[in-house]
Amino acid sequence: MDDDILTTLKILIIGESGVGKSSLLLRFTEDNFDPEQTLTIGVDFKTKRLAIEGNTVKLAIWDTAGQERFRTLTPSYYRDAQGAILVYDVCNYSTFSKLETWLSELETYSTKRNIIKMIVANKIDMDNREVSREEGMHFAKKHKTLFIEASAKTKDGVQSAFEELVQKIIQTPDLWENYGPGSNFHLGNKEHPAQSNCSGYCNLA
Amino acid sequence: MEDVLTETVPAEDLKKFEKAYHEQLYKQDVTPKAQFEYAWCLVRSKYPADIKKGIFLLQELYRSHEEGQRDYLYYLAIGNARIKEYSKALSYVRSFLNIEPGNSQVIALESTIKKKMEKEGLVGMAVAGGFVLALGALVGLGMAIASKK
Ligand SMILES: Nc1nc2c(ncn2[C@@H]2O[C@H](COP(=O)(O)OP(=O)(O)O)[C@@H](O)[C@H]2O)c(=O)[nH]1
Ligand SMILES: [Mg+2]
Repeated sequence: MDDDILTTLKILIIGESGVGKSSLLLRFTEDNFDPEQTLTIGVDFKTKRLAIEGNTVKLAIWDTAGQERFRTLTPSYYRDAQGAILVYDVCNYSTFSKLETWLSELETYSTKRNIIKMIVANKIDMDNREVSREEGMHFAKKHKTLFIEASAKTKDGVQSAFEELVQKIIQTPDLWENYGPGSNFHLGNKEHPAQSNCSGYCNLA
Repeated sequence: MEDVLTETVPAEDLKKFEKAYHEQLYKQDVTPKAQFEYAWCLVRSKYPADIKKGIFLLQELYRSHEEGQRDYLYYLAIGNARIKEYSKALSYVRSFLNIEPGNSQVIALESTIKKKMEKEGLVGMAVAGGFVLALGALVGLGMAIASKK
């Protein structure tokens, strides 16, 4: 059953309410879109298998609500996440401005130092854009995150957003190998520097 | 792998929101927000006694604070499923879907609950066992009140 799974990765989706987090997740997991997507309650959860460079990984994706009344508690779901997708709506400048806050919250509460971040500029199918592609890219570069423009409605960029994030995580074995310094259990092999534990995946880095 | 029925609240979060709630309780001025945050932590605890207390607080909110009712129903379903009160959990799911049919998050929760029941060999017993479960819930409620003091 799960024998051929390389690893299970925990991914977060964060950002202001209404930017399309749940829609991106629905597009990715079920290839579907709901123009009347309902408001997420607290934190939702979906899984998906993803084949990447000959490996299959299982993704456990936590989709947060982003609404003010859930804000104080969502960070308690950040623990142990290896990847985060930060979403803004290209037609709503304030959702882009708020990214700074989301990044610093991630900084504060994530337990993995080198968590991989992907910024997704969503709703590029709409014609009342307020944030240009250049501005988005510039911000991502400044904060050393991945960046992609997408539309949950038209599918543009959605698959790539998840794939590129997972690829980068796989290329960072510290994040997901049990004995990596980024994790909290050491099976009595403290003397081994993490490097010496390289199995076949090191050449990906 | 963790899911909405198995992931647990970090101990420091439970402590933090417990403290905030009790500070307000002491001043006899508990806001729905503080009560909800504490209850949300409690229903994600690994200890059934905490979960029962969380359920009690959510029931209280459900009666007194109309605005957050869909949130309370959702976490009432989760809390009950976590302490294996499956027929109660499913009845909260049904109440939710009566108000908001087709909510995919709640439909997904329903199937997660049913899968868990299947794993425990409980499918088909939900109805027959309803009475016993309800009795258990009453006892649970009593305990929650007792532990509040
Ligand atoms: N046109 C368009 N609408 C979108 C897109 N993504 C989401 N929406 C709509 O935006 C609204 C909010 O989406 P939702 O996924 O609930 O946002 P969330 O609060 O971040 O989870 C819903 O009405 C969606 O149908 C998109 O790429 N294009
Ligand atoms: Mg949502």
